[in-house]
Amino acid sequence: MKKQNAAAKRNASSKNASESAKVAIRQLPTGVRGLDEILGGGIPEFSFNIIAGTPGCGKTTLAHQLVFANATAAKPALYFTVLGEPAMKMLRYQQQFSFFDESKLGKSIRLFNLADVVMEQDLDAVLAEIIKQVTNVSPGIVVVDSFRTVVRKVTNGASEADLQNFIQRLAQFLTSWEATTFLVGEYAESEIRDNPLFTIADGLLWLWQVTERNSVVRKMQIMKLRGQASVPGLHTIRISDDGLQSFPRTLGMTGKKARKGRRKRLSTGIPELDTMMGGGILEGDSLLVAGPSGTGKSALATHFIDEGLRQGESAIMALFEERPEGYTARAQGFGLDLRTPQTSGKLEMLYLRPLDLSVDETMQAILDAIERTGAKRLVIDSLMGFEMALAPGFRADFRESLYRMIGALTGAGVTILSTVEVEDSFQAMPLSHYAISFLTDDILRMRYVEIDGQIRKVMVVMKMRGGNHSKDIREYVITNRGVVVISPPQTDYTGLTTGIPTRVGKREEAPPEAKATKSRERS
Amino acid sequence: MRDFAARLITHEARARGVNFEAPIAFAVLDEMRNHLTTLMGNGGHRALLMRALALAGAEVPWLRGIRVAADGSLEGSGSHAESIDHDERTEGGVVLIAQLMGLLVAFIGEKLTLQLVREVWPKLPDKDLNFKI
Repeated sequence: MKKQNAAAKRNASSKNASESAKVAIRQLPTGVRGLDEILGGGIPEFSFNIIAGTPGCGKTTLAHQLVFANATAAKPALYFTVLGEPAMKMLRYQQQFSFFDESKLGKSIRLFNLADVVMEQDLDAVLAEIIKQVTNVSPGIVVVDSFRTVVRKVTNGASEADLQNFIQRLAQFLTSWEATTFLVGEYAESEIRDNPLFTIADGLLWLWQVTERNSVVRKMQIMKLRGQASVPGLHTIRISDDGLQSFPRTLGMTGKKARKGRRKRLSTGIPELDTMMGGGILEGDSLLVAGPSGTGKSALATHFIDEGLRQGESAIMALFEERPEGYTARAQGFGLDLRTPQTSGKLEMLYLRPLDLSVDETMQAILDAIERTGAKRLVIDSLMGFEMALAPGFRADFRESLYRMIGALTGAGVTILSTVEVEDSFQAMPLSHYAISFLTDDILRMRYVEIDGQIRKVMVVMKMRGGNHSKDIREYVITNRGVVVISPPQTDYTGLTTGIPTRVGKREEAPPEAKATKSRERS
Repeated sequence: MRDFAARLITHEARARGVNFEAPIAFAVLDEMRNHLTTLMGNGGHRALLMRALALAGAEVPWLRGIRVAADGSLEGSGSHAESIDHDERTEGGVVLIAQLMGLLVAFIGEKLTLQLVREVWPKLPDKDLNFKI
């Protein structure tokens, strides 16, 4: 037993020794929202990185954000500008971004123009000038923008070996001086294989502008990053007044909470519907309300939100078709007040109609709003409008993205009501042309039926993942009180799902809304 | 902007222990040259100074005889200026600096321009670092 204990101690101490012998690589923040998560925590300190991509995809802006996020008077950033990026223009345009802090220029951020050396001298002179400036300043961050123009100009006549030697010496020097380096350049993907720069680099951040039909979307990929695991794949980026913002593909997937064992049921604000649903929607569920135009999907969504507000909950409405003002006015017509909670901050209506939207951006906007308000209920009205707002390139992945988004939001404890428009065929009752029913917990189908010379409305709960529900097809009307389910339920029809039912009982009930009556023409 | 330029010349003249005069204006521009060349390269600095000179030459005719040399210094500022009346010479210096400052403000804004001036003349009193007085 003693021997075993001694061996266990030896193993433990050897494990501890090997763990403590590992170098801890500090990670620098990028200053770009979402990018640290994509990189696996940040940029490894003292790494030698390339920011590559085609013109206009945000390389310089990214470099500036990195610089402004990290430069201090004690550990300044040295920004070498070359031909592609004249300092005057760079300062002129970059100061428009919110991250630009002019007080950092000079002491914390030093700009140095390399153009003259590049234009007039060779690689050795360029390296000598960089070494001279780095030695003087002792920077924590070094940027060469654009490195491509350095290499293009000075390699005329130089061999590939000369170039490789130059890059190798540059990388060795900058790393030895404890600088984290970013070489910015316009490169094409085809150059990756033959360019020694990409072999030597520790990190390779590639930016794209992807064009599809009339839409242009910016994307980023971490092609290489030594020393840590980054999130693979293409991530959407957008340039706004705050600079570059990235939307990781894993957005919302981390920190997902497991559903509690016993969840309470939330009222929809329509008592008869709650009964049909077995007591209401289970908290944290995703309910899909499907029906053709005019059946009252948005009205039902308004009830759902209003009820939450009445219970003291906060709510978010992500609107893709109708403007918030219209929505608020219609609710008022039903006697539901959505204006006051908007003013008090209990309700946020997000009208998301930017050009070339991505699902990840939408999810980020919703998650931000949830964090701001602590919302428990969310309406997405409608999925079709959402899809239309997306850039064509994102539409292809709509189902997958939606799955991720709904999973992330319900995982955050939010109960979601999404509306989707479907056409009534009068032969069948499709749930949605998206085939997305698998990603919702509950489905409510609304449809038109022809009865006694009237187009009337019926609803049925098709699916409740969390328990039993009524199988009844219930007629409802939309009045000045909103959606009103007719009681008692009628059971005198068959074939309601076809839209053209057949009466099986006696004609005893009055129509829920008055029928037109014959009027005799006066002679 | 002219008042600001005059204050810069006065500051530089005091630092050198001489009177306010045109050659000091060229010294001011020379002080700026080092900083601007570091920031925007020799080519960038030359282009900016040539533009400032062209604009100033429209207001003060004798400045049209001045040229920007390959290294960014001003050629003809000594011999040519000597034949000019003192007041005119002084005005020429003020106008040229004011035009250069005006261009910098147009391109990079007041804040960054003043920050640049502060880097070149760290002892310039804060009250003088203002384009509006």
